[in-house]
Amino acid sequence: MLRFWSGAVLRLVAVMLMASFAGAMLMRIAPGFSSDDQELNSGLSSQSIQAIRRAHLADANIPHFYAQYLGALMRGDLGTSRSLNQPVKELLRERLPITLMNLAFALAVGWLLGLALAIATQTWDIPALNFLANGLSGTFISTPAAALALVFLLLRWPPAFAAALLVFPKIYRYAQNLLQHSSEMPHVLTARAKGAGPWRVLAWHIAPIAFPQIVALVGVSISIGIGVLLPIEVVSDVAGIGQLAWQAAQARDLPLLVNLTMVVTFVTVCATLISDAAQRGFKRSAA
Amino acid sequence: MKRHYLLSAILILGTVSAFAQSGGELRFCLRSEPKTFNPLLVEDEASETIRYLTGGVLVRVNRLTLKAEPDLATSWKVSEGGKRIRFKLREGLKYSDGTPFSAEDVAYTMQQLMDPALHSSTGDAFRSAEGKLTTHVVSANEIEIDFPAPVANLVNLFDTVAILSAKSPQKEMAALGPFYVSERKAGSYLSLKRNPYYWKKDAAGKQLPYLDSIRLDIEQNPEIEAMRYKRGEVQLINTVSPAIFEKLSADNASVRDAGASTDTEQLWFNQVPGAPLPAYKKAWFTSTNFRRAISEAINRNDLARIVYRGHAVPAIGIISPSNKFWFNSDLKPHAYDTSDALRKLQQDGFKLQGETLKDKAGNAVEFSIATNAGNRARESMATMIQQDLKKIGIKVNVVTLDFNSLLERMTQSFNYEACLLGFQNVELDPNSQMAVWLSSADNHQWNPNQKSPATPWEAEIDKLMRAQAASGDEHKRKQYWDRVQQIAWEQEPFIYLINKDALVAIAPAVKNAEPSVFRPQTFWNVETLALAH
Amino acid sequence: MKFIRLIAITVLALTAFTILGAHYLAPAGYEQQFRETPQAAPSAHHPLGTDELGRDRWARLLYGMRISLTLAPLAALFTTVLAGLVGGIAGYFGGWTERCCKLLIDLFLSVPWLFLLITVRAVLPLNISPEASVTVTFALLGLLGWAASARVICAGAKDLMKSEFVWMARAAGFSGLKLVRLHLMPNLRGALLAQFWISIPVFIIAEANLGALGLGVAEPLPSLGSLLRELQDSVMVRPEPWRLLPLAVLIVVISSFQVLLNKQEIRT
Repeated sequence: MLRFWSGAVLRLVAVMLMASFAGAMLMRIAPGFSSDDQELNSGLSSQSIQAIRRAHLADANIPHFYAQYLGALMRGDLGTSRSLNQPVKELLRERLPITLMNLAFALAVGWLLGLALAIATQTWDIPALNFLANGLSGTFISTPAAALALVFLLLRWPPAFAAALLVFPKIYRYAQNLLQHSSEMPHVLTARAKGAGPWRVLAWHIAPIAFPQIVALVGVSISIGIGVLLPIEVVSDVAGIGQLAWQAAQARDLPLLVNLTMVVTFVTVCATLISDAAQRGFKRSAA
Repeated sequence: MKRHYLLSAILILGTVSAFAQSGGELRFCLRSEPKTFNPLLVEDEASETIRYLTGGVLVRVNRLTLKAEPDLATSWKVSEGGKRIRFKLREGLKYSDGTPFSAEDVAYTMQQLMDPALHSSTGDAFRSAEGKLTTHVVSANEIEIDFPAPVANLVNLFDTVAILSAKSPQKEMAALGPFYVSERKAGSYLSLKRNPYYWKKDAAGKQLPYLDSIRLDIEQNPEIEAMRYKRGEVQLINTVSPAIFEKLSADNASVRDAGASTDTEQLWFNQVPGAPLPAYKKAWFTSTNFRRAISEAINRNDLARIVYRGHAVPAIGIISPSNKFWFNSDLKPHAYDTSDALRKLQQDGFKLQGETLKDKAGNAVEFSIATNAGNRARESMATMIQQDLKKIGIKVNVVTLDFNSLLERMTQSFNYEACLLGFQNVELDPNSQMAVWLSSADNHQWNPNQKSPATPWEAEIDKLMRAQAASGDEHKRKQYWDRVQQIAWEQEPFIYLINKDALVAIAPAVKNAEPSVFRPQTFWNVETLALAH
Repeated sequence: MKFIRLIAITVLALTAFTILGAHYLAPAGYEQQFRETPQAAPSAHHPLGTDELGRDRWARLLYGMRISLTLAPLAALFTTVLAGLVGGIAGYFGGWTERCCKLLIDLFLSVPWLFLLITVRAVLPLNISPEASVTVTFALLGLLGWAASARVICAGAKDLMKSEFVWMARAAGFSGLKLVRLHLMPNLRGALLAQFWISIPVFIIAEANLGALGLGVAEPLPSLGSLLRELQDSVMVRPEPWRLLPLAVLIVVISSFQVLLNKQEIRT
């Protein structure tokens, strides 16, 4: 167990460092790194424009910037956002809880809906239910996040609920296919033939086969949730990290981007590590 | 040199309704978080809003009459051909935290502003030449400021200089304007409260501003802003898009078209000699006939009618007709005439072969127009121009790029062919466009930072711009600037497309609002805005 | 059930027919601007009305479907193959291979790929054709969209490697590619199919969003994603029911494919 967790922590730290460094390098290589919309300000003198460009290029040496960033991180200093002129620590402290709460809500509701529908369609093979479930999941997976978010704003419903509706089709589709496939196993057919009821078949014969992949899906659903929630936050003007991420990308705000990548990586990898641990625990108890 | 005795009270008398209610909280939105509260470093619109609402200025330009009016200064005198200005200040004024205001604060502010390390457009506007600025505090209420060289439009420039306190512990947060920032929730809103020490009173002697407070919500999405306006959650929208304007009108929400603004949308071709483009394309783009032909082949009326739903006018040149004094009224819009466009192209050896236009070397005329992604109006205009130019056999590829990438191509790599962008002309005076029209300047977009003018007409523009900057005679400056407009109209380095209207939304509950086409459109007279209860 | 299958087949046949016959069914073409009638309501000349620039919506829907319903499934297939490959290799070999693959998956899920996409656009020529631009976009989506599913595949593959029938297959001499192809992949079909079906509409919408970076389809070529993006306007500005047709088309087509394929799966 100790070996597993120490390996997990190492993996977490390694991924956080690599992902944030890779993000910084990608930002540096992408065009527009040293550009600032102030360059088009005809009120600025040539010297001022050159000064703005030099300020942007101050962090052009990414390995050097990253080393300095890590040093400051050890002291608890996350740097200052160039585009917002505020300490990144303050920004994250204000906005991260909002996003985490919305994410937790979106995933909880998404899983509830998705898994419930998948189990229902699997247990009761009613055409109308299948049609409804497929129709709902097909509708929401095809709807752009921005449009759905605006509809919810019109209706004064929480944007996190829109995120849940966009997460559930993916959960439903994976879970439904996994349960469907597991239900075709010979031993399941045998159990049915022997008169086992649908719930018994589901609990004792289908779920154990599908469980490892469903648990893996739990871990992955965090990144699905983040991927869905961030654009909703941007469109709905929720003061979460979605807005910050978009701001960082548009303004090429390196300190902000590196920190946000660290945060997102931490949440994502923690989720996958927990699901890995759950799988291990399940296998041990099954054995 | 003019001495203005037009008192603010007279203006207020003209605008305040007798039954104006006082109190209440005005709510409207900012499109982004303000980047700074230091008024000397303001560059973005959100920070400019805060500066306008909280900053005390020596002189305020009335957004309706465009005349400079006394504010913190009761009078001023410009001398030495525009090198010196002397202000007489109001007595007994205080900042929002009670710190007294005096000429020392003006001196402090100007020294801060003209610090070469500051790099702000507010300061750069005063920097007509190298050299130090000197301030002489004549008395507690009188100050003389000397510039190293004459500064064009000197008096009006002080409309943008909010006076900082040299002594207040609150530093830039101490306000002389009608409001001060009382609360801020990052990413969410700012709250401004009435400045208890604001100096202005209305004609009846009542302390201004009428409003108790202003709440500014950070709202990036214009659709959400419009929705909130309809619900009554906000009472002003400073900039409404044409589509939302129509929707709000259809829903009987209160919206107004204040008329053509000073903003322009324009297209230009890359004329940088070192640009990574094929030589034959550079030859096209540097040809006046080519540019004039493209201009004549674009249906500006359609752009205004369709993209802007009729809330725009075809642009004539650099200056919008709403900038009445500086606009060259002799200029007429370029006519939409595809036949004449083809004739001009034929003069340069272009030939229409079937449905394809080819140059004299047989190259099919094809180029890309780059614009910034996410701006639906520009994307639509580029698509319409694509169709217009197809009629004369030109193939246009519309390329939308994220803004920073576009900027990098425009200003550093010069890896683009044509660009479609808009410019917000905040300042009316042509001197504010020195950095555009001087051939050596950075914002001379089609071919910036020239060591010497590439063409005779650019050399002539250089001479004219320097002459208008050095002259203290407004009528002479007008003549020079008219000639610059004429040259730009003939040569079309920028193909001006439209001037969009200033579309605003003001709720009926807001009293004394008189929207202007000049920024800030809806709240330029914020101290006299009131809410009906 | 047979009736539903019949409907699904009819829908797909109709879709294929309209896509292939777009030139005849929508003679107006997708780029012609009828500037006297922008934002027109449906009429005999324009069955779905016109858009903001006066372009026939019906034509743009047909051509948009052609682009998106051809390229999105290909990109989805690409991403599914990648997910199967990485997840399958990780689960099959286990040990350090699995750890490295999981590290790669975590990295892929965490890195902000936005800047890679911006860089790709910078490298592409400015005058690239709209068709080429949208093909590159879908290829990129396929290349970057596999990571989430790979984890699920890996968990499934790992579990399968411990199952009795795989033990028996190995005892019988099966190994490597043959084992993967005959015993692992068929049993991972559930997760692979899920990845495939989810990816199609997700990629269609993502292609439209990538327009903000200069990728995606270029004017005047329409795509289903760019038509779906207009829904954003219709929510606030003009709630016209016919603007929902691209969404309805996408839902119906995806659902029809799912109905057909699910039924085939049970049969085999």
